[in-house]
Amino acid sequence: MERHRITLKINGESHLFEVESRETLLQVLRDRLDLTGAKEGCGRGECGACTVLINGRPINACLVLAVAVQDQDILTIEGLSDGDTLHPLQKSFVERGAIQCGFCTPGMILTAKGFLDKTPGPTEAEVRRNLVGNFCRCTGYTKIVEAILDTSEA
Amino acid sequence: MSKESDDRREVKVLTREKLDLRQLVKAPEVGPSVVGRSIVRTDAMLKVTGRLDFGADYLQDGFLHGKILRSSHPHALIKSINTKKAKELPGVAAVLTAESVPGRNGFGAIIPDQPVICGDKVRFVGDAVALVAAETEKIAHQALELIEVEYDPLPPVFDPREALKEDAPKIHEKGNLLSYNKLRKGDMEKGFAQADVILERTYQVPFLDHAYLEPDICMAIPKADGTMLVEGPMQAPFTVRRNVNAVLGVPINKVRVRQIPMGGGFGGKEDSPIDLGCRAAVLAYHTRRPVRIALEREEITLQTSKRHPMIMQIKIGAKKDGTLVAFEGVIYDEQGAYASMGPVIPPAGGSHIHAMVMMPGPYEIPNVKVDAYLCYTNHPYGGAMRGFGAPQVHVAHEQIMDELAEALNINPIDIRRKNGFREDSATATGQVLEQSVGLHDTLEVCTRAFDWDRRYQETGYVDEGKTKRRGIGIGLGWYRTSIGTNNDACGANVYVHEDGSVLLYTGITEMGQGSFTVLPQICAEELGVRMEDVRLVQPDTDVVPESGPTVGSRSTTLMGNAIILAARQVKESILEMASEMLMVPMDRLESRDRRIYDRDNSGKSLEFREVAARCMAKGKRLIGQGWWAPPPPTLDPETGQGNPYFVYTYSTHMAEVVVDMETGEVEVTDYVAAFDVGKAINPKAVEGQIEGGVAMGLGYALMEEVALEGGYIQNLNLKNYLIPTSLDVPDIEPIIVEVENRFGPYGAKGIGEMPNLPATPAILNAIANACGGRVRTLPADPERVFWAIKEAERAVR
Repeated sequence: MERHRITLKINGESHLFEVESRETLLQVLRDRLDLTGAKEGCGRGECGACTVLINGRPINACLVLAVAVQDQDILTIEGLSDGDTLHPLQKSFVERGAIQCGFCTPGMILTAKGFLDKTPGPTEAEVRRNLVGNFCRCTGYTKIVEAILDTSEA
Repeated sequence: MSKESDDRREVKVLTREKLDLRQLVKAPEVGPSVVGRSIVRTDAMLKVTGRLDFGADYLQDGFLHGKILRSSHPHALIKSINTKKAKELPGVAAVLTAESVPGRNGFGAIIPDQPVICGDKVRFVGDAVALVAAETEKIAHQALELIEVEYDPLPPVFDPREALKEDAPKIHEKGNLLSYNKLRKGDMEKGFAQADVILERTYQVPFLDHAYLEPDICMAIPKADGTMLVEGPMQAPFTVRRNVNAVLGVPINKVRVRQIPMGGGFGGKEDSPIDLGCRAAVLAYHTRRPVRIALEREEITLQTSKRHPMIMQIKIGAKKDGTLVAFEGVIYDEQGAYASMGPVIPPAGGSHIHAMVMMPGPYEIPNVKVDAYLCYTNHPYGGAMRGFGAPQVHVAHEQIMDELAEALNINPIDIRRKNGFREDSATATGQVLEQSVGLHDTLEVCTRAFDWDRRYQETGYVDEGKTKRRGIGIGLGWYRTSIGTNNDACGANVYVHEDGSVLLYTGITEMGQGSFTVLPQICAEELGVRMEDVRLVQPDTDVVPESGPTVGSRSTTLMGNAIILAARQVKESILEMASEMLMVPMDRLESRDRRIYDRDNSGKSLEFREVAARCMAKGKRLIGQGWWAPPPPTLDPETGQGNPYFVYTYSTHMAEVVVDMETGEVEVTDYVAAFDVGKAINPKAVEGQIEGGVAMGLGYALMEEVALEGGYIQNLNLKNYLIPTSLDVPDIEPIIVEVENRFGPYGAKGIGEMPNLPATPAILNAIANACGGRVRTLPADPERVFWAIKEAERAVR
């Protein structure tokens, strides 16, 4: 297996790795950096639990090879809050009760951030359309949609 | 919040801000200070920042990776297994077959009929024939491929009705009929003789997968003192322990089970942790090293339990005015390969008997007969899944109620008003519902909030091209609190420290439903401290008292009561001590918001913590232990008469759908769900349960099905096992109705398992209302809806 030396810019910091060609970004985040906020739910890019932002765009980290995202801005849930100060989306998820088991939460919040950054003041229908790649089996999405709409109004 | 009272009972209605039910408001909210408030989840900060470690996030250093070789056949004898090549692969620590199991080679929540490793035969394609532990997952995968198994295929059985035939291949030695149960009330002949209309219908539901997002994982860690520590996300740590100890052949106290954060369970993580716990423990026993088994999504679908499929036949009779006179039901309940949670635990435990007693629905019917057959097949096995046998029968009774209403030309809500349970109604099992029966309250509140009467007149095409039609539907529901066995007790310890902070020990687990918030709320309320003063200890069988499993909507009510009893023991010490310190009689003292007050002289008070410190110094009891079990069930096995459970939650759902008449596609466009939960300890958490449950019920109605062909599952991942997305689920309006349960903490009863039950039939009824076609075999995917429309059109012509 061919190995590559790559630099990944994660949460504002550059990290140097030696990776195999087939290693996914999710494996690198979880196994090498202990950034376990991105979860593996299906390993096939279906559930969205592994969503991270790459240059502001929500991407399933289980489908992306680490070698393919060199020098791009990668944001994980660990890099979203400013120390103990929560990002408004995180705050809204907490207050609205948009969290149950919490397994989908990091991916859900990052998808919402990627979307809100590009589409301020969205309609409910737009929010729902943009969450379609992030499954939640617990909440029925109602409070998640409310939390995102709340944030966009704030 | 609104309140309506009559001389017998008090009904409160809690709604969210956007619903205008102000006409119901009569009294302001008063009451307890911690209970009844939507306190933020205790784990919210960790979850929202990604800092909560689920099992897969735990460090893996030093762990071996366990993998399971599964059967290639749904039913076969194992002729030989050759593990030589796999054992020789570098990095492989163990390859185990049936003879390697040190104790009992069988596990199961009720009957240990599932082999840890199959020795002589396999009964479904998820069966384990060998276990591997290796230094990496990759090596473990390679080792699986090197194991050679020779099978002698046997004829399989895939239909419960086929399984009952005399010449059917025997799946287990005792035969294929796992349980037969019956319910007999009144006189069927007389009953049907009084009927003006009799309908006969058959409804059919498929296997469903829980599709919790967190894949199953289990870690078994052998300790130096000979104890086996088993960790993982699980709903029933004590059941896991009971199985692991038998499989290892050691006493119960040599196994320690710790529950760790769980990313959804829905009943599925009652079974699978037993399976993984036993298998990981056997690997750890042989290698003397920590072993983790982490299932991939496809493996979860292959191996773990499902919702039972059922074929349900109903004959129902009613008078012209809608009064029900007779109900006859037959259930062919497919268990699949292993018993899991299906069979009867006397008098009324197990999903099968639950389906039987719930089948006639929340209606008063004088003459009832149900026969229920639970059969083994060579399919995956049915276990616990949210609603435990009840969602299936709700699909049947709520649809036939609508079909009956249509035959009698009665509004669907009126036939339910006429027959629905009220206080003092007798159920099909002859149980008299003496208290906390809020079914009609939910029906009336839901009717108003949904604006049923107006919408019932406004069905028809919604687009100019006349391709889409709107319809509305109703579903009523009921669900037990508790599990119906004589073994349903919960224990809790409450430990107050000298600074007034509290540790709460229970064996109830958190899977997302909010128990780790609601249980401390009850503890804080009873002690008179603040929510943040109570820390709940992660369930650990070495540390917490036996609590039974986290199932059956039992946690808040049963454990809540145990916590109150435990807290009261400590509070008695505190008040006795405070009485001495203040020189005020104990009965005048009250503990509230971290202070002990003299009720008659509010100037006289002490801080809770200074009293606690004095108790500690004087050796006065600061640890309380409470046990609570519900009133015992009394179901007679011959007649199915008696009390299976002690209290029920009631609900009404109303849905609006739009059906595309050309494609059969269904969109759910509006939804209101009202629940009588006795008392909402944490209203936002209750709303969360309702909204999530409705989504799950929607999935059952429209899209979910484990597709099986010849015993092989065709949809192993979430790509083709469809679950509802944000686009499938409408904005759901939950309404909480409170009709006090006098056996519950602060009046509460269960909610977790309930909210999906009425959702499925409400949507199916709305589809029928919209398009005229009725789908009686689930799911109502576009193809089935399309053919139902065609059939209805043919019938009109």
